[in-house]
Amino acid sequence: MESPTQPLQIKLPAAPAFLPERPAGYNMLEAIRRNEPVESTVHESVHAQPAVLSIRDFELWYGKSKALHGINMPIARNRVTALIGPSGCGKSTLLRCINRLNDLVDGVRIHGQMTLQGSPIYGPGVDVIGIRTRVGMVFQKSNPFPMSIFENVIYALRIAGERRKSVLAERCEVALRNGALWDEVKDRLTESALGLSGGQQQRLCIARAVASEPEVLLMDEPCSALDPIATLKIEELVRDLCQRLTVVIVTHNMQQAARVSHYTAFMYLGRLVEYGRTADLFQNPLLPETEQYVTGRFG
Amino acid sequence: MRSQGVGQLGRWYSRIMFGVCVGFAALIIALLSLVIWYLLAIGAQSVDLAFFTQDQSGDPTAPGGMRHAIVGTLVLVGLASAVGVPMGMLAGIHMAEYSQETWLAKPARFIADVLAGVPSIVIGILGYELIVVPMGNFSGWAGAAALAFIMIPIVARTTEEMLLLVPNSYRAGSFALGATKAQTILRVVLPAASGSVVTGIMLALARVAGETAPLLFTALGSRFLTLDPNQPFPSLTVQIYTYATGPYEAERRLAWAGILVLISILFALNLTIRVVAARSARHLKSN
Amino acid sequence: MSQAASHPDRGPAIPPGSPTAARRAKTGLGDLALGIMARFGAASIIFMLTALLFVLFTAALPSVRQFGANFFISTQWRVNTLEKPAIGPDGRVLKEDGETVMTTIPPAFGALPTIYGTAVTSFIALVVAVPLSFGAAIFIVRVAPRWKIAGPISFLIELLAAIPSIAYGLWGLYVLAPFLRDWVAPTLQKVLGDIPAFRWMFFETITIAGRLQERPIAFTGRDMLCGGLILAIMILPIITAVARDVLRAVPRAQIEGSLALGATWWQSCWGMLRYARAGLFGAVVLGLARAAGETMAITMVIGNNNQIAASPFAPAQTMASLLASEFREAAGLHRAALLEVALVLLIMSLIFNVVARWLFVGGQSRSAAAH
Repeated sequence: MESPTQPLQIKLPAAPAFLPERPAGYNMLEAIRRNEPVESTVHESVHAQPAVLSIRDFELWYGKSKALHGINMPIARNRVTALIGPSGCGKSTLLRCINRLNDLVDGVRIHGQMTLQGSPIYGPGVDVIGIRTRVGMVFQKSNPFPMSIFENVIYALRIAGERRKSVLAERCEVALRNGALWDEVKDRLTESALGLSGGQQQRLCIARAVASEPEVLLMDEPCSALDPIATLKIEELVRDLCQRLTVVIVTHNMQQAARVSHYTAFMYLGRLVEYGRTADLFQNPLLPETEQYVTGRFG
Repeated sequence: MRSQGVGQLGRWYSRIMFGVCVGFAALIIALLSLVIWYLLAIGAQSVDLAFFTQDQSGDPTAPGGMRHAIVGTLVLVGLASAVGVPMGMLAGIHMAEYSQETWLAKPARFIADVLAGVPSIVIGILGYELIVVPMGNFSGWAGAAALAFIMIPIVARTTEEMLLLVPNSYRAGSFALGATKAQTILRVVLPAASGSVVTGIMLALARVAGETAPLLFTALGSRFLTLDPNQPFPSLTVQIYTYATGPYEAERRLAWAGILVLISILFALNLTIRVVAARSARHLKSN
Repeated sequence: MSQAASHPDRGPAIPPGSPTAARRAKTGLGDLALGIMARFGAASIIFMLTALLFVLFTAALPSVRQFGANFFISTQWRVNTLEKPAIGPDGRVLKEDGETVMTTIPPAFGALPTIYGTAVTSFIALVVAVPLSFGAAIFIVRVAPRWKIAGPISFLIELLAAIPSIAYGLWGLYVLAPFLRDWVAPTLQKVLGDIPAFRWMFFETITIAGRLQERPIAFTGRDMLCGGLILAIMILPIITAVARDVLRAVPRAQIEGSLALGATWWQSCWGMLRYARAGLFGAVVLGLARAAGETMAITMVIGNNNQIAASPFAPAQTMASLLASEFREAAGLHRAALLEVALVLLIMSLIFNVVARWLFVGGQSRSAAAH
């Protein structure tokens, strides 16, 4: 299994294996901008791992405007999948669909399916709260509640009704260890979470999200508000976490995607453009458009 | 010749108006302070320990004290808050957190604002028609109801405003962890806003404690220290009014003492509330 | 939300009876309960207004039916039933069996005197308070920040707004009224009393024994002038606070723009006033609403005489003071008439408040909401 731990050098492919049969001068991104139907290029390698999450023909509208077009992708279990693309490509929107956080937005309509370990995420009578306990989320800006560190971490357990002090204390320690924060806060669990530094707060949010032992952890640009050292700590954390659960991470930082993820999906204007193993996408993409993006030649 | 701008006259006019504005501000503060100082000074001459320990004696030349009235106001405000605070908070929660139900939230917000400006004597008359008339006598219940009527819109609007100040990231975080709306509101949003919500409630209490008109036709007033709301009920404000507009010199002196006590309590209350609010606001900003 | 899910499945079933199922049911119930209670709270506010209008209207109905539109133009306010000798068709007193026949004239009520009293006192209050408040607001927004006292001054003014109404009433009754009676009125009379144009200020025309007579007004200090001044003092804090908020919301670009064009300090202030005129008008309307609805202070100093007189030194009655003085002992038609006055007062305050809210675009003023 490929490990993404080696720093990746992005070099121009010698002879990229482009897809055949494209008319000369055809630019897929241009075509997308003109609203023409395009096909996603999904590498075979994504199907090599069993999928924990399966997205099929997924579409989303904000009122009248369509934000996601026909997304089809499996998310591999116990791997880190990165969603990259320029601003407005829908990566955050797609992420927030997985734990049905878009339900909170007025005027959102969806079409298509998402399944988690085979059971549907969208559908009549689906237990939304159950989905949200199985799919955790970490936000771009850390949002610890104005409570103690302990209360923050075990919040999900409390609202599920767990009251036994021993259980809560134990799960708190496990979660904080998983969040690489235990050593730093074990002596001040009763202090306010707002007293932590930015990086610590984000790790607290990660600990809080994994306390209920979700199967999938969604991360929406978790390091964008942090300094490089805090960022590195979190990236290490992500690699550790994926042994226990699946991570889907949205990032606008290509180097981060290259460092951290096993699989990468490149999105543009709500469409999935190319999806494959990170090494392939960065060194050997099938589409010239992808190559242009990852080498920084646009956006 | 190049224009030199506004002429000398205009500049002098500006300077005069500047002085006028400064003067007006000083005048307002001086005027209001004068009024208060006078009331406190006269009141200080008349207040004594008996004021707090005795009830109305019935003898207009030696009227006793206003203990019954102070207790009366406390009881009325307490009863009014028992209904007014929960109802107001629930309405505020709805307007802030369930605001997507616009058919209810929008009119409620508008009407709450409008109700806050209704003259309190009209509310007293409502209390009379709705409670005193069917009950057959003036009562503490009617007085408390009138005060609650005044309280509910104020508490609702301040609760709503404070809840709206809580950043949305808290709500998103709570939902993402699998909480229901009620859990999110009760465990995260409301506690986050609790300081300012409590401030708003206390200010509403202080406002209602100083009201006279709504009690005139509902609780009426009483000579006796009583805890039974089924009967006419004493209150500090009505007692002061009755004495002040009466013919007896001794009673009028007592009214001044009453004003001193009332103003002092309300002042101290408002001061503490606002200072605590300002301090906690600064504390929140630094985080 | 619509979805084209082909799975009728609901996902991994929570085994019924398991602790998870029990907990989930409980939180679901709690969620429902809070939603319902919150809706109830919000609905009760709407209900409160409806109840207010409905109850007052039904209680005022006898008076509405009896007097109709005349209620608003009639200047009579007579509680007692009069008995007068009936005049026969020949112009002479009717007699029956040697006894004079009496006709009973029922009580007559008209709201015009109280509307007049409310209007005059509110007018005086606004004329005095608005310039003072606007000047102070300009000071707070343009001058005080540089002197670092903006915060304390606003704080002080808001604190002074917490003074209860009877406190002002007491002060008005025992300080202002005697002052007006002993100093202001006599001085004004000495200065202006002989000028015919000001005669209306010092003389009133009344009907004695069926004839109109002019009589000098006796100064008691408790009159419309005193009432207006007390109201002015009471509405100073709210107009200042709201005007301050409105002026603060004027974008700096406006002020800097005018200064850059060479305007004087006052000219740029005037520009601010013009820019914010909608909100300032709203502040005035809010002050007016407060003045018109004020009860306790005005009842103590207005003189409680339900009449229409031209002079500010004459006693009068406002709608609120009329209710405060007469409601308790009133009965029957009198009570219904008072309730009609209360209804008029209510509707008037509602209109003022609606107009004021409408003038504040996007919540320019938090003080407006608080007051």
